Amino acid sequence: MRDLLDIWVGAQAWLFETLVSPVLFHFGLMAWYEPGYSAVEFVMLGVVQIAVIAIGMRYFERRWPLEKAGRDDGLIMVDRVYTLLNKLGVIPLAIFILTYPLVQEIELAVRSWGYAPPRLERLLPWIGDNALASFLVYFVLYDFAAYWLHRGQHAFGWWWALHSLHHSQRRMTVWTDDRNHVIDDLIVTLALVLFSQFVGVQPGEYVVILMVGRLIESWSHANVDMSFGWLGERLLVGPRFHRLHHALSTPAERHIQDHNFAPVFPIWDILFGTAIYDGKTRPTGVDDAVADADNGRGWIVQQATVFGRFARAVMPRLRRRAPAR
Amino acid sequence: MNRLSIAALAFSLVVGGAARADSVIILNSDEASYSILSRSTRTEVVRLPVGREPHHLVLSPDGKDVLIGSTATNELLVLDFKTGERKRVVKDILDPYHLAFSPDGKWFVTAAYRLDHVDIYHADGFRLAGRIFIDGLPSHMAFDAESKTVFVTLQQSGRVAAFDLATQTVKWNMPVGNAPAGIVMLPDDKRLLVALTGEDRIVTVDPKDGSVQGTLQTGKGAHNFWPKGDGRHYFLSNRVEGTVSLIDTRDEPKVVASVRVPGGPDCMDITPDGRELWVTQRFLRRVAIVDIDTMKVVGGVPVGKSPHGVFMMKSTATVTAGTGMPVRAASTASDRK
Repeated sequence: MRDLLDIWVGAQAWLFETLVSPVLFHFGLMAWYEPGYSAVEFVMLGVVQIAVIAIGMRYFERRWPLEKAGRDDGLIMVDRVYTLLNKLGVIPLAIFILTYPLVQEIELAVRSWGYAPPRLERLLPWIGDNALASFLVYFVLYDFAAYWLHRGQHAFGWWWALHSLHHSQRRMTVWTDDRNHVIDDLIVTLALVLFSQFVGVQPGEYVVILMVGRLIESWSHANVDMSFGWLGERLLVGPRFHRLHHALSTPAERHIQDHNFAPVFPIWDILFGTAIYDGKTRPTGVDDAVADADNGRGWIVQQATVFGRFARAVMPRLRRRAPAR
Repeated sequence: MNRLSIAALAFSLVVGGAARADSVIILNSDEASYSILSRSTRTEVVRLPVGREPHHLVLSPDGKDVLIGSTATNELLVLDFKTGERKRVVKDILDPYHLAFSPDGKWFVTAAYRLDHVDIYHADGFRLAGRIFIDGLPSHMAFDAESKTVFVTLQQSGRVAAFDLATQTVKWNMPVGNAPAGIVMLPDDKRLLVALTGEDRIVTVDPKDGSVQGTLQTGKGAHNFWPKGDGRHYFLSNRVEGTVSLIDTRDEPKVVASVRVPGGPDCMDITPDGRELWVTQRFLRRVAIVDIDTMKVVGGVPVGKSPHGVFMMKSTATVTAGTGMPVRAASTASDRK
């Protein structure tokens, strides 16, 4: 295990010292030295995630597909672009640069008042001695926050205007998870980073939580006809559970997408009454012609049109001036 | 690490002075833990939790405690010098990124790197005497021999500031170069050496007024100093270049030796026999061991993520020097000559 870690760390250090460090040094950006090193790890982890998705998860999709190949297959291409941009750090880097000063200001303001994050080790001393327990506890907390953010994405009109892009796909696959508007990503990232700092998640732990969580979420969007079994489906979010959340609403099930919100642990849906386990297979997408029109568009056009939806949602004056349909 | 292992470690450390004299503490800044290493076997004995983002540590003036600054939780973790065991936590020490006692042991100073202030405490009871807000990421510090002034590097603004300890006021604040980090007062008490992490050199600064008196090219990312213990030579880590330089400070400072230590070398300490320099390699999650006579890397020990501060437990009585670095009493005496 240590050998693997040495290889990983050696590669990270080599990439950083060869490609990143000289640039930072040359341009006098030494304040970004440590974040730059973390960014290299983020990109490396992204490559691993892409490999796991493209090789591992895709194998299951090909072997046991739920939806057979059809005319909408071509629409998946843009989802792959989203995944590459996210996993290779392009979007996260932009978000980091935008949010870092704000996160810093909030953190520093709070800390300058003498406030220190309440660490769970004080309440539960045993987790301090056990790295796995510590990881799991913080992972559960992180997922709890992500669950409520997800509910917010569906509850507020302006937020749904952004989040509807994620739901407008007609073919759910392992590439779907990253299909989000950058402003949506920015809001969620900002909220989760602040929450993580508030509860005391360590930077190193945060990266692992992020990676494991996002892999599970990629899997939960997979087009596979598999189940974890009765108990497994209640312990971990899988494709069947999450597929219902993406189901196309019908007159009989108008609010079907307001269920199965949990990103990783279904316990939140069970506890808060939003879980549905009925075993039915439904088509996915949105019952909204405007949002459905996202399909067939490229990344840039999707981002621009969804931003328009968002702007009209937050500024009613724009909405009134919009041409009548 | 379970409690049984911790108990076994504590027992083994309590059993004899040899055990504690054999130990090295490493702060793993990115995983909120500290490692206790065995010097003789060059292995990690145990890894224990500590607050959040620990970066530096220092020995108390009476030599009984080791204090670790937990920056993100605003507290100090106090370890027993004899056993390495956690004794207590001192709360409400804001962002103690760097910490040091004045040579007379009366003042305790912290540099709040992220919160942009320097705090001066009465060492007795850690009572805050004054907080001076100052822009530019205050990072490392050094004292004058009389314990009247503390000099603090301001990494972002490229300056060094001098603070009067008794009045907690700024005496001067002068530009010295790009991203100054490590700072050390030479034994003559008339020259400060300042490492410029944004450049490939160190500068000599006059402690009276902060004027730059000289410069010496060392390596890219010149970062931190550690005294060799002979009152004349100092080690310097060059983070970007991945080297450690040995600097002779008699007359005009000059580099007399250098060794490649990859992985962002940072803090250093010397074994009590003066033969080995242990250097944290931030990016490699290791500590490198350099043979001082040959200036070659002769070994290494895997530790946690982003290892930063290093502290060598020693069998002899120890005090803190004006550099803000814990060194052996014998070394301190010779440094002052």
